[in-house]
Amino acid sequence: MKPIIQIVEITKKFDALTAVDNISLEIQKGEIIGLLGPNGAGKTTLINMICGLLDATSGEIIFQQNKNKKKTRAEIGICPQENIYWPKLRCKEQLIFMGEMYDMSLKKAKERSQKLLDLLGLSEKSNIQAKKISGGMKRRLSICLALIHDPEILILDEPEAGLDPQSRILVRNFIKSLTRNKTIILTTHNMDEADRMSDRVAIMNKGKLLMTDTPDNLKRSIGEGDLLEIIVDKDILESRVDLLESLSKKFDDVKIKGFSVIIMSKNIVEKISEISEIIKHNGYIIKKMTLRENTLEDVFMHLTGKELSTDY
Amino acid sequence: MKIISIINKSIKENFRHLWLLILTISLTPFFVGFYWAISESEKPNYDVLLVNQDVGVQYQSKNYHYGSLIIDEIKNIDKDSLQFPMTIKIAKNRTDAIEKLKDKKADALIVFPEDFSERFQNLLTSNEVEIINLEFIGDLTSIKYMVTAIWAAETFSDLIYMVTDQKNPVNITETSLGISGKIDGFDLYVPGLLILSIIMLLLPASISIINEVENKTIIRLKLSTISALEFLTGISAVQLIIGIISIALALLVAVGLGFEYAGSLFNVFVIAVLSSVSIIAISLILASITKTATEVLIVGNFPLFILMFFTGVAIPIHPKELFSIAGYPVTLQGLMSPTHSVSAMNKIMIMDMGFIDILPEITTILVLTIIYFAIGVWLFWWRHMRV
Repeated sequence: MKPIIQIVEITKKFDALTAVDNISLEIQKGEIIGLLGPNGAGKTTLINMICGLLDATSGEIIFQQNKNKKKTRAEIGICPQENIYWPKLRCKEQLIFMGEMYDMSLKKAKERSQKLLDLLGLSEKSNIQAKKISGGMKRRLSICLALIHDPEILILDEPEAGLDPQSRILVRNFIKSLTRNKTIILTTHNMDEADRMSDRVAIMNKGKLLMTDTPDNLKRSIGEGDLLEIIVDKDILESRVDLLESLSKKFDDVKIKGFSVIIMSKNIVEKISEISEIIKHNGYIIKKMTLRENTLEDVFMHLTGKELSTDY
Repeated sequence: MKIISIINKSIKENFRHLWLLILTISLTPFFVGFYWAISESEKPNYDVLLVNQDVGVQYQSKNYHYGSLIIDEIKNIDKDSLQFPMTIKIAKNRTDAIEKLKDKKADALIVFPEDFSERFQNLLTSNEVEIINLEFIGDLTSIKYMVTAIWAAETFSDLIYMVTDQKNPVNITETSLGISGKIDGFDLYVPGLLILSIIMLLLPASISIINEVENKTIIRLKLSTISALEFLTGISAVQLIIGIISIALALLVAVGLGFEYAGSLFNVFVIAVLSSVSIIAISLILASITKTATEVLIVGNFPLFILMFFTGVAIPIHPKELFSIAGYPVTLQGLMSPTHSVSAMNKIMIMDMGFIDILPEITTILVLTIIYFAIGVWLFWWRHMRV
């Protein structure tokens, strides 16, 4: 199947800064692709180039084999990181207005506006000025504005940013409901958001695309099994080598950082007592033990050597 | 220490908006230079048209044309004696001369009556008290007319007195163009004030456009299928309505306060619409070079003051002619459409002139508006709507 968007060796430079560095990526019709990376990774720059707000320094973006940006502009809906709306217009008014900006008839724009307001839980606020609704509602309105012209490609820049838990679930379910009908590109630095929502995740750091795959494959790529994190009573730095050696004899993937030891292995539950013995033997008291599955954060850490969450 | 920190911060901020700082501090020196360029550098000159209707007189079997003799004498005074900065031109007839006056090709018209020589002869030969009638025609609100009329009255009286030895031999009748003879100082300023009410659209119109940029909603618009031209035309239409309401209210208040105007309201409406579109077009250029409402307010002072003070809107000015196109003078101020708007409004409301008479102004405003609009739309697209 031919990709709906084909990004070919695209680079964007701002003077000396290379914001996007020679990225190639194919996005298939109907998939949700998450661009995961810390702030400054180049996610927003990349999506701005996809929707035509920024010109690439080199490389090209091809939409359904069509290089004409103008023709494809109407096929893209964008919900930028910052909520963009007309503060003095009522929610429904601005949706109808934007519909008309995309050549929709007034009748169709009205129908579509009402439908979107209903779907995103904003029907009660449809006649209230946008400046008067809550932050979470403004975010939902911003998503409605991105979708008013029923675009084939939806770009969501940090869609869950600033949302309360209730709104987050609503938005997440709504986005999920759009799959197969629409191609969705979402940027996030939230690994959980990327993991739950994306069919594929593209991990970015410092303008480069590090890896692209399904969340499961990405997690598997750094080793199978569960992950055990043990917090001890003191900094392990002094006897790091001894402890690491003892654990590495039994397990392939062991990481030590500050007060914590992270071990990844299959059937790790059965080996917890053995691990405890080794740690105690090396003079540490276990304060806390957490067993969890591999996450995309671990993948990012594996690829870049640093935590995704510490970057912002 | 905190105050020093604030000063330090403020200096940095000001210098990092260098072009705003330069605009702010150069505003007054610019006005001084600009005013000098358009006004002080120009030596005053007064253009007088003479129409000689004198049929002559027969005295002792000889024909005398004293009118022609006096005109020749006046011309000589102009050149050699008084060195008054005046140019005298002879017009074919009264009607032709009045047309030239209306087109501001002369400052005053002096008409020698048919019986000029007859009365002059009587002054020379009889003991009866005889008065020679001269008709002065012009825009009685014009300072140039006033200066010319005073000088001419004095000169004719002196000249005839020298020849005839009769005191106060000249009776001057003034004929005003339009209603210029009936108006007071307030009436004189109203046409300019009406255009001023349109000029005041400049900042609000720019802000209404730049709000889209400041709120970033322009991103939504530029990703949609609307073009810069459609967007700006839509915004301009609303501002046009505001402009027309504004000028209508200003006119209503002026009439309520005693302003009496001549001419047709339709012509006033045409000029109001054109002037509004023109100012809105300038506001597009202003919006194109700014990004926020604050910037519009700072940068906008520049064109606002120029349009207010150098186009004859707030203060009557006498533009220096650079060259002329089809007889219509082109001046530095002429590059600004309100100059022509004020001229047209004066022609309509003070001089009682018709649509044909204001066609040069209408054409010029139209051409300038198209140029402003084209520049504004292109600049706005380039700066804010390019995708």
